[in-house]
Amino acid sequence: MGRKKKKQLKPWCWYCNRDFDDEKILIQHQKAKHFKCHICHKKLYTGPGLAIHCMQVHKETIDAVPNAIPGRTDIELEIYGMEGIPEKDMDERRRLLEQKTQESQKKKQQDDSDEYDDDDSAASTSFQPQPVQPQQGYIPPMAQPGLPPVPGAPGMPPGIPPLMPGVPPLMPGMPPVMPGMPPGLHHQRKYTQSFCGENIMMPMGGMMPPGPGIPPLMPGMPPGMPPPVPRPGIPPMTQAQAVSAPGILNRPPAPTATVPAPQPPVTKPLFPSAGQAQAAVQGPVGTDFKPLNSTPATTTEPPKPTFPAYTQSTASTTSTTNSTAAKPAASITSKPATLTTTSATSKLIHPDEDISLEERRAQLPKYQRNLPRPGQAPIGNPPVGPIGGQYGGHHQGMPGYLPGAMPPYGQGPPMVPPYQGGPPRPPMGMRPPVMSQGGRY
Amino acid sequence: MSLFGTTSGFGTSGTSMFGSATTDNHNPMKDIEVTSSPDDSIGCLSFSPPTLPGNFLIAGSWANDVRCWEVQDSGQTIPKAQQMHTGPVLDVCWSDDGSKVFTASCDKTAKMWDLSSNQAIQIAQFWDTRSSNPMMVLQLPERCYCADVIYPMAVVATAERGLIVYQLENQPSEFRRIESPLKHQHRCVAIFKDKQNKPTGFALGSIEGRVAIHYINPPNPAKDNFTFKCHRSNGTNTSAPQDIYAVNGIAFHPVHGTLATVGSDGRFSFWDKDARTKLKTSEQLDQPISACCFNHNGNIFAYASSYDWSKGHEFYNPQKKNYIFLRNAAEELKPRNKK
Repeated sequence: MGRKKKKQLKPWCWYCNRDFDDEKILIQHQKAKHFKCHICHKKLYTGPGLAIHCMQVHKETIDAVPNAIPGRTDIELEIYGMEGIPEKDMDERRRLLEQKTQESQKKKQQDDSDEYDDDDSAASTSFQPQPVQPQQGYIPPMAQPGLPPVPGAPGMPPGIPPLMPGVPPLMPGMPPVMPGMPPGLHHQRKYTQSFCGENIMMPMGGMMPPGPGIPPLMPGMPPGMPPPVPRPGIPPMTQAQAVSAPGILNRPPAPTATVPAPQPPVTKPLFPSAGQAQAAVQGPVGTDFKPLNSTPATTTEPPKPTFPAYTQSTASTTSTTNSTAAKPAASITSKPATLTTTSATSKLIHPDEDISLEERRAQLPKYQRNLPRPGQAPIGNPPVGPIGGQYGGHHQGMPGYLPGAMPPYGQGPPMVPPYQGGPPRPPMGMRPPVMSQGGRY
Repeated sequence: MSLFGTTSGFGTSGTSMFGSATTDNHNPMKDIEVTSSPDDSIGCLSFSPPTLPGNFLIAGSWANDVRCWEVQDSGQTIPKAQQMHTGPVLDVCWSDDGSKVFTASCDKTAKMWDLSSNQAIQIAQFWDTRSSNPMMVLQLPERCYCADVIYPMAVVATAERGLIVYQLENQPSEFRRIESPLKHQHRCVAIFKDKQNKPTGFALGSIEGRVAIHYINPPNPAKDNFTFKCHRSNGTNTSAPQDIYAVNGIAFHPVHGTLATVGSDGRFSFWDKDARTKLKTSEQLDQPISACCFNHNGNIFAYASSYDWSKGHEFYNPQKKNYIFLRNAAEELKPRNKK
């Protein structure tokens, strides 16, 4: 072979140790994350460049590179993409990579593919807290008979439906555990290897490729599992396995870019009653998938559409219906959606709530003083004749309503005391527009 | 068209006082001030249609009143009549023959004011539609924030950035729901016409200092429809954040087809949407401009200076006078010649 490539095969960021496919992307990343002025958001090209900019333009000193890991915050080092990285750091990185490849090679002998490593380790850390206890109690019996694990393994997946309840609580736990991944990496892998060996991997391997196909797969798995599932031996084990199996089974999907998206909905069909909880869980999970997928930065995109596409059709409709249902029922004091006011460079001169200025103003008692009170004339009000003179003062049959009658949500009707026997109320929003009445032609 | 040639002397026939102002910025454009202006914020303005000889201006205010002035060619404004609601008046408009004025108020009624008899009849009521026998009820998906009508087209902009176009021929029906071209709350809308005097599109203003020009059936929507920013303080990029004000009203010049926008920043601007240029921006008034309107021949541009609540309750000063100014609009709104 010729001269060994100095750069390493994949460009990586010296400041935060992240890998990139392309040096161009790496540079973009550096500009956006490490060389961006926190005051004016201008993107510079290098660390010293940023320092100079801050000093000259904002008269501010900067002593550390933003978003850099400790030890890599030196602002004086002129690093651009892969250029400028000190030799010793390069060596360190190379060593680290070698270590990783060694480990993955070892794993490879047991696994089918490299992908699972990260997933597995990541997942294993996340579910570690939970499966640990049952596993520990479980292994001894397993270690003795050499066989049971084997038939047991195929038996485990079928045990999944009952295991599902474990998943939602586990899932939110994932993100916080994720950061613990690197240190725990090594440890977990071994552990899982000893425990599950290939048996678990295999079915998972079978599952992984379908990726987004998993949701339909998983619920269908029990019937779909070819191995007949020697039930007798399993039931006692399923309990203990219960927690671990889905943990393991779901672990790989979890951190993987494509699978996490389908994951939440997987549980959904099995527990439609838990749909509410799902909706709540998916919120944090959905957003938390972002950091999970941080390394393959581009892969956040695919999960995003699948996630909303699948879940939002069901979950978010519940959430949106919840919110819209909440709106009319809410009293005046509850806040509607607030505006997104752009912060650094501009400011909306408008009150925060996303209601019209007139709505806001009309809430004031001052403007409601003159509104007819509830106790007034009964409904049946015919279009009153010339009310008389200048001041159509007493509007007979003016529908009475509470002072709060012009709530921000315009939901006058629900607020009106039902003494009127509940005439059909037009939905909110129909302020008597002059146009729709009386034919303005 | 001989009105408002010299604005200096006029407008003082009433109670208005320009004199004392040295730093007073209530009328930096030196426009004619309408006499006996309402005591609270003016929410809506409307000039009489061409069927009525002369110019009559109607203004609805948060003082629950609707006032009518005659505006003479000399610039003199004579208060003519007033009607009351029991709640703030949110919108006013004239019948085509100029004999009646329709007013809509927070008191959940709409009234028809017959000017000749000076009587106002309640014609609509918010929540009990049975009693007022509407000819038609159109359900809106959300609260209506603004609307405009030029037969046979009507545009309604609602909360949550909803936008619906109606066609009014025969039985009025929903023509199309449009995805809002703006990203912020809708505040005002005005329909414009094409060369053949047919309504062909509308201008939509939001609270984010932006107006969208939208054609209903353009040959090339991507190119023909556009938005432009307006009513923003020129925040010089880094020093101070730019203040973005709401567009409170949009009005089209009936003859030239150019438009005027008024904003919370206390300025009005004239624009040529075909040349996509700004024609003029006024000086800044000390209060937001809450409403605007052209008269039927486009000679007079009326705008109201009063607090629109854009800075919340804290900045409301009941002592501050509310003004309606009239400006000669014939020249300044001539379209730019497109090259």
